Amino acid sequence: MNIIKTSNLYKYYGAAETAVKAVNGISFEIERGEFTAIIGPSGSGKTTLLHLIGGLDTPDQGEIKLSDQKIAAMKGNQLSDFRRDHIGFIFQAYNLIPVLTAAENIEYIMLLQGIEKKERAKRVEQILEMVGLSGLGDRRPARLSGGQQQRVAVARAMVSRPDIILADEPTANLDSKTGMKLLEVMRNLNKEFEMTFVFSTHDEKIMDLATRLIHLRDGKIEKDERKETLNALSFSCSLGVGRAKLSGNKTERLR
Amino acid sequence: MLYFELAWRNLFRNTRRTLLTCLLISSGLAVLVFTDGAIRGMEKLMIGSLTKTLQGEGHINLKGFRQNLDVDLYLKNPRTVTDTLNNDERVAAFSVRVLSGGMIGSPYNSVGGLIYGVNAKQEKKVSKIKDAIVTGDYLTGKKRELLIGDKMAALLEVKIGDRIVLTAADANSNELTQDLFRVSGIFEFGNRELDEGIVFINLADGQALLGMEEGAHQIVLQFKNEATSRDNDFVLPENNPTQDIEWTGWLKLNPSIGAMLDYTSAGTTIIGFVLFILISLGVVNSLFMSIYERIYEFGVLSAIGTSRWEVISLVLFEALFLGIISSVIGLVIGAFANYYFSLNGLPLGDLEFSGIMFGNGNLYTELAIDQFIFLPLYVILLTLITAIYPAFFASRIRPTEALQRAL
Repeated sequence: MNIIKTSNLYKYYGAAETAVKAVNGISFEIERGEFTAIIGPSGSGKTTLLHLIGGLDTPDQGEIKLSDQKIAAMKGNQLSDFRRDHIGFIFQAYNLIPVLTAAENIEYIMLLQGIEKKERAKRVEQILEMVGLSGLGDRRPARLSGGQQQRVAVARAMVSRPDIILADEPTANLDSKTGMKLLEVMRNLNKEFEMTFVFSTHDEKIMDLATRLIHLRDGKIEKDERKETLNALSFSCSLGVGRAKLSGNKTERLR
Repeated sequence: MLYFELAWRNLFRNTRRTLLTCLLISSGLAVLVFTDGAIRGMEKLMIGSLTKTLQGEGHINLKGFRQNLDVDLYLKNPRTVTDTLNNDERVAAFSVRVLSGGMIGSPYNSVGGLIYGVNAKQEKKVSKIKDAIVTGDYLTGKKRELLIGDKMAALLEVKIGDRIVLTAADANSNELTQDLFRVSGIFEFGNRELDEGIVFINLADGQALLGMEEGAHQIVLQFKNEATSRDNDFVLPENNPTQDIEWTGWLKLNPSIGAMLDYTSAGTTIIGFVLFILISLGVVNSLFMSIYERIYEFGVLSAIGTSRWEVISLVLFEALFLGIISSVIGLVIGAFANYYFSLNGLPLGDLEFSGIMFGNGNLYTELAIDQFIFLPLYVILLTLITAIYPAFFASRIRPTEALQRAL
């Protein structure tokens, strides 16, 4: 069952004659639980495509359906509510709220959802543990490393239990070790909760982990390759805090 | 709660800017509170000077008397009125007077002026004649006592004990009538019109001089609450069957002062308006700076599902907290200044306006409950109103543009 479906999607920037076709007639479908990487050189339209899928921007032409709902047709509160309940965002620059602690940053979205305080606290505790940040919830972003901040961002994106996580170059500002550790966390969560992940990336590590690669060039899909699964891939690495082995559907937790 | 905390913490991201903005708002409020206190003090001083000196808070007299001071227009039996006034709980004090224009002559000179026949005992409660005595004594009720202004005494070259002849028209026959008095006291109100143009004698002497027996031209009143004097319907219908008695409050007696008080009130409004505009500009500037610094955050908030109204609320809460903090600071400063000057006064010197002397030359500010409720509420409301535009601006920030700035 597809969870994302784009049909003939176009997005232009600039005036008519000098318009840049950031997204130029893109159509694809993404199944629930896929771990998809959108790759391509700078300016190929990756971020624009993610923004369109996430309802942060509107296409000039075409249609986007998320869970069979046309997101491009939504406006105002309907769109805000849809994003809040169905989409999680992870940004390249972490974009945490600096005056809130890690736990509060994660809690904020649940506050918007109207989840009661006790449940919020429980979920924050759980997700902090999942992303390996137990005990650091009361720290503000300035007192966390880049990797820790990005893990908070991952936790924030996931805590509301969205259908889709959209991540725009999530490892771009992280060193390779930290980036890999974060990817493991996301992959584990993807497998455990069957959340659909869509990344835009240059990062080869993500490409290796992805179950599907959509290659973009000049706003068009150049290649769309589905890896059979990651079952065959035995991925291991030594990451300072622990060791992860992803084999088949079995996830051996970090730590 | 997190929502409030977010707004509260946002306020203190840039503590210096927030404090400067608070200082701007609180200074405005403090100035407004102090100005309000000073204007209330000025009004009280003006009204007090006007109504406590001689005029009282209003007059009862026969219709037509006030226009030309016709000596024959007098209350034949003022007791019927005074009995009613004695039983009226609103009335603090009253005094019966006779009043006539006349010639005031000494062995050396003579001048035209007003002759007031007053009840010495009653008069102490409605006017400041006794307080104005600078030489000699106040009236005791003995025959032929006369109080004269210092300037008139200088003109007539008289001192305490000297003879004065008063010449006036008989209230019934209009024939000239004369009597001899001796200067028992010299007064100084500090008002040229009063000090140069008036003499006071005992009521009985005045009634005898003008041939009025028990009659009176004027009953002067002071009320327990000055506002009663502004009631144009303060009439005595049961004692006024022929509708020939007239009541005139001090505001009607002095329309120019009433107009001036209105201007003063308008002045407060204008000062408030100008201050509010200045405060608004400061608040808008501060909020916009704060929003511009956090554009990416608003983009993120919007991206993760914060609705426009929630973003607007967030900025408005920040403004609300800013307004509340500033109001508390402003109130403390304004109240302290008001309290200090309510005790020590602001020196005004020998300020006189439209014949009104301003007390002992000090303006004492007035503390009023309005200053502590309505003015801070106005300031908080203004801060909120001012924040509406920045709040809408923040709510319109497009996530895609905001997120680009974060990179």
